[in-house]
Amino acid sequence: MKEEEKIYEEIINEIEKEGFKVKEEFKEKIKKEVKEKIKKELEKERKKVEKKKEEKEYFIRFSLNIRLQHLTLAVGCLLLIITGLPIKFHESFWAEIYFKLTGGIQVSRFLHRIGATLLVIVAIWHTIYLFTKEGRREFKELLPTKKDFFDFFQNIKYFLKLTDERPKFGRYSYIEKFDYWAVYWGMVIMIGSGTLMWFHNFFLGIIPKFILDIAREAHSDEALLATLAIIIWHWYNAHFNPEVFPFNPTIFTGKISKERMMKEHPLEYEKIMKEKNKE
Amino acid sequence: MKKLFLIFLVLNLYSQDIVSRNRRCFLCHGKEDYKIIEDGKEKSLYVSPGEYYQSVHKNFLCTACHYDVTTIPHLRKPKKIHCLQCHYAGNVVGAPVKEMPEKYKESIHGKAKEKGKEAPDCIDCHTTHYVRNPLDSLSTINKRNVPNTCGKCHTLIKEEYFKGIHGKALLKRIYETAVCNDCHREHDIFSPEDPRSALNPKNVVSTCEKCHADVTIMKKYGVPVRQVEAFKESFHGIALEYGIVKSANCVSCHGYHDILPSKDPKSPIHPKNLANTCGKCHPRASENVAKGKYHVIPYEKEAGVVYYVYNFFKWFTFFVIFGLIVHIILDLAGRGLRKFKK
Repeated sequence: MKEEEKIYEEIINEIEKEGFKVKEEFKEKIKKEVKEKIKKELEKERKKVEKKKEEKEYFIRFSLNIRLQHLTLAVGCLLLIITGLPIKFHESFWAEIYFKLTGGIQVSRFLHRIGATLLVIVAIWHTIYLFTKEGRREFKELLPTKKDFFDFFQNIKYFLKLTDERPKFGRYSYIEKFDYWAVYWGMVIMIGSGTLMWFHNFFLGIIPKFILDIAREAHSDEALLATLAIIIWHWYNAHFNPEVFPFNPTIFTGKISKERMMKEHPLEYEKIMKEKNKE
Repeated sequence: MKKLFLIFLVLNLYSQDIVSRNRRCFLCHGKEDYKIIEDGKEKSLYVSPGEYYQSVHKNFLCTACHYDVTTIPHLRKPKKIHCLQCHYAGNVVGAPVKEMPEKYKESIHGKAKEKGKEAPDCIDCHTTHYVRNPLDSLSTINKRNVPNTCGKCHTLIKEEYFKGIHGKALLKRIYETAVCNDCHREHDIFSPEDPRSALNPKNVVSTCEKCHADVTIMKKYGVPVRQVEAFKESFHGIALEYGIVKSANCVSCHGYHDILPSKDPKSPIHPKNLANTCGKCHPRASENVAKGKYHVIPYEKEAGVVYYVYNFFKWFTFFVIFGLIVHIILDLAGRGLRKFKK
């Protein structure tokens, strides 16, 4: 209000300096109009400043490379699950409906191979990524440590209200590490057995039949395990968890707010802040 | 009672009458060497009275069918007669009418006949004068005689059939074995390309399944019962279920008329022949395809390694998912507790 008044008075003074005599009524009118205009301008600037502040309070959690890897993996997995489960549960009514809607088992087989290709691409991509500077740094952060073990028990205690102290996670919590390493297990089994079955005509000449039988059984069983783990566990942590519901966008945008950073990854936050202060 | 007795008496007299009236026909036609020469060929006109009186038509006069014979001896050749002359819906003679003739008309034999090709009609299988009940062991369409009846025309297939395990079983008087019509059906025989055929690739499995999934029959002869069940779970089975006809069905590997058990070295599923059999579709198949079990049911111990893989994953999945769910529930419960207290 004070600012507005000052500006207003300055304007009136300038007018009077030039020798104009201003009627009181007119003065009031100008006062009102100028006040409103100035108010709007000031508010706009305030908002701009606030936005800049907020942006500064975001951290970049995932590089574009990681985000694209996750996206490819996610699309691949969903495609594989959607086209694969109806084959495992071929006798169910929904499998029949699915095959009718999508144009039959041949279409599904084709789409399944596209999903498989995406998965193989991610596997190769990630292996190469692990040799880059960024990849090595991330990999070190993802290695399981003793602390994860204690964090796990601390977290269970916290859930049960035996303590009010939350475990302090670093860049990756034991939950995220579990997700990461579970993918290794899944990828090895699924890509291994899947390759045997995709190129069965080639492998029939090389390996005994019972290995193909094992591949098929393992593929089918591990598929179910992976699907359940993704839907129950991964989606709970990324979507349905009350803390992030309905959706945790960090893996797609790469950004994480300061608040969440402090709450979910306090040790990493401290580390980043220390480094910044040194600079 | 009296009435019943009367009816019986009348019927009896009537049948007596039939024998005596037919005797006049059998005077000539009952002689074994009674024949004429037609189109330069000898044609026997003999009808065995003994066999006729054991047939289902024993209570009928010869002239019931050969209605155009009015005087004896008849001078003209009687007209050709057809079964449908009596066996039509609404007939007054009491001839049983089933859907068989209708089925026959649609069948490959019926269609061929319609086009004027040489194909069997009713009498070719059922015989002309000696039609017996199919349950009668002397009937041409009794199970033990079916291969010979069909084999009258399909001679090579009959030979093949008796080389196979089903034919051998029949020779051993095991009447639970499959004969021609158990797979091909009788009146509604179609070409395997026809989707209505019992042996169309889509229907083969259910045709074999009729017997091979029947525990009581299979146990008797020590034949494994769950092969069909296992096949349906295999990728061949699933592909077939969803209409990929080129996928292997039972007969693709086992053969059909001369099916033999895997122990027999001539069998296409004998371990030594498997590479060739699989090679029909999978060109690189080698002796490796014999290393392993077939028709594997993962949750049966007979499955071998696959059984252990199945069990590993079963328990592994159970414990992992159980652990994860417990973790989620604890998380949610903790949140609930804290909210409630605040």
